[in-house]
Amino acid sequence: MKFLTLLKKELKELLNFQTILTMVMMLVVLSILGEFMGGAMEESADSQAGTVAICDDDKTEFTADLINQIELSGYTIEMKENTSEDKAQLLDDADTDYLIIIPQGFTQSILEEKKTVDIEYISRVNNASVMSAVDSMDSASAVAIIQDAIFTTVMTGQYGIAIDELEFISMPVGVDEYTVVKDKSANASSAQIQSHMMSQSMLIPIVVFVLVIMASQMIINAVATEKLDKTLETLLSAPVSRFSVLGAKMTAAAIVALLNALVYMIGFGNYMKSITDMQGDLAAGTQATESVIEQLGLNMGMTDYILVGLQLFVSILISLSVSLILGALVSDAKETQTMILPITVLTMIPYMMSLFIDINTVEPAILRYVAWAIPFTHTFTAISNISFGNMGIYWAGFAYQIVFLAVCMFFAVKLFTSDKIFTISLNLGQKKKFKKNTK
Amino acid sequence: MVLEVKELSKQYSKVLAANKVSFSIEEGEIFALIGPNGAGKTTTIRMISTLIKPTGGDAIVAGFSAVNEPARVRENITYLPDEAGAYKNMTGNDYLNFMAGIFTTDLDKAREYVKRAQEICGLGERLEDKIGSYSRGMIRKLLLARAVMTRPKLAILDEPTSGLDVINAIEIRKLIKRLASEEKMSFLLSSHNMLEIEFVSDKVGIISKGKLHVVGKPCELKAKYGCDNLEEVFEKVVNSDEVSDIA
Ligand SMILES: Nc1ncnc2c1ncn2[C@@H]1O[C@H](COP(=O)(O)OP(=O)(O)O)[C@@H](O)[C@H]1O
Ligand SMILES: [Mg+2]
Repeated sequence: MKFLTLLKKELKELLNFQTILTMVMMLVVLSILGEFMGGAMEESADSQAGTVAICDDDKTEFTADLINQIELSGYTIEMKENTSEDKAQLLDDADTDYLIIIPQGFTQSILEEKKTVDIEYISRVNNASVMSAVDSMDSASAVAIIQDAIFTTVMTGQYGIAIDELEFISMPVGVDEYTVVKDKSANASSAQIQSHMMSQSMLIPIVVFVLVIMASQMIINAVATEKLDKTLETLLSAPVSRFSVLGAKMTAAAIVALLNALVYMIGFGNYMKSITDMQGDLAAGTQATESVIEQLGLNMGMTDYILVGLQLFVSILISLSVSLILGALVSDAKETQTMILPITVLTMIPYMMSLFIDINTVEPAILRYVAWAIPFTHTFTAISNISFGNMGIYWAGFAYQIVFLAVCMFFAVKLFTSDKIFTISLNLGQKKKFKKNTK
Repeated sequence: MVLEVKELSKQYSKVLAANKVSFSIEEGEIFALIGPNGAGKTTTIRMISTLIKPTGGDAIVAGFSAVNEPARVRENITYLPDEAGAYKNMTGNDYLNFMAGIFTTDLDKAREYVKRAQEICGLGERLEDKIGSYSRGMIRKLLLARAVMTRPKLAILDEPTSGLDVINAIEIRKLIKRLASEEKMSFLLSSHNMLEIEFVSDKVGIISKGKLHVVGKPCELKAKYGCDNLEEVFEKVVNSDEVSDIA
């Protein structure tokens, strides 16, 4: 079978050491990232009820009581000395990233003059990562800790109010929060749900972006190289049908795309599992996120994963058939790199949009239609559409992609089965060359 | 007759690249199209190889029409494009095996083709290496061996020696001559180097601006126009034709 000979050659070319390594890396990175994010979330949750570094410059009985009270409410106290005027030096000496300083005259102000007084709060910013921001305490919570302690100390000490009574006075209202998604509701906070959805939506666009660009670059290079090296001319003048040459290319590309989509879905499954497990642990006490997500119908079942995978597969097929055409347009090795540009732009627009807005409801409506007209948009919004049950939009997008794919395929076949493949070019550098020749 | 070209024409959007080109090639004959860059050699060759469709005329290869039966034509030819390369990630042997599989589904035949090509190309051990590591001359020898391994009725070689050093060019010319005389293979060559081509070809056709001006044996042409070499013949033929065109 000549087709199999061709297919084998195409597969060998596409599935080289480099591309296999990329796929394995993707799987590993996704799995590790899940563990990592989970770990970071756990850590930041720990530090919330963690250590408080305090420097007591007032040193009165009242401040001692305060500090005692903070300890009673569950914090570990680290006492530090005020060693320097230089704040950086002070943090260094105290060997901490944040420090509360109770100033001299603090007790005097509060108990006798009944005047508000500032505590000093110093914290260090180490880097710009999202997780490190969650790690450290901010001044508002520092103030809240001190204020709580003062409230309790003053109320119980000076006004002789019993502790359980005090609890009532300080917090007479509690909250029983419900979140509604479509027609389902669950006894959980919307913040909890949103943080879960965030951990999905942060990752997917990046991976889709990488996959589409990678697959396109692969095919553009393969086709352009065949054209420039004239191996395509050699093949097409041999006793083998042009359909099998193109078919082998398409099939090989589709197999590689399917493999990529599969690897991505497995990696993504691992990633989500680590995150939900972690959120489940953290939410001990309240309802576990996992069961809440399930209750709200936001969880991804097997069918959902398959739908997302299907969507991804079609998107990659589209980018591959467009790339076949783009690769065939290359008439100069230098052009090979720029040919990816249309695909990059078409992926970048929905990528950016999906990061900042809800494409399905964005106003003015023209923006929505522009986004929907770009086939890759539907992949970026697939998980959100499936999770939130917007199946109409999902299937409409899918149908649109199939039509788009058919049109691209039609043009690719037409290009490869006519002599256009040898005569067409974008006339970037070519025009000049022809003119020179005809002189 | 192996090839009969009948008033073959190709009109690109702005250029008439081939203008009613006619010639023929007998069995065991080496025919060379000679003319400067842009003369229309590659265009003519691509039409005969069924890669592009003529806008007029036809080429009959081993009795089959390039216009109406391109699939049958492809069974009887091999084509080596000018400045062609090969798949860089394959070894020389991989490439020969792959191409043999494209020409036949019969495994025994394919093995025979590969063996023949291995002998002809003279690359020996280097066939085990990746093509990416080959020199220009080595690639050309590999591709030429590939083009003749199936013993096609007509081997079409576009500028087979261009860009090669003298030693490699001589080797390739000798190989073509040997295959034609010993195995009765027919060749259609092209070259913009009019001096070297007379050593290898039985017959030449002088082409310029898409027009095939004259066809004949190199010695006959030189005698007819009273010149020492084909370059002078070219100058005379093209100039006199253009003068008569204007008149
Ligand atoms: N794809 C094309 N589109 C338009 N003009 C072309 C194309 N290919 C070749 N030509 C023109 O046709 C003429 C003949 O070119 P070509 O057959 O490549 O010449 P040669 O092989 O003798 O150097 C040139 O003027 C060239 O510019
Ligand atoms: Mg040429």
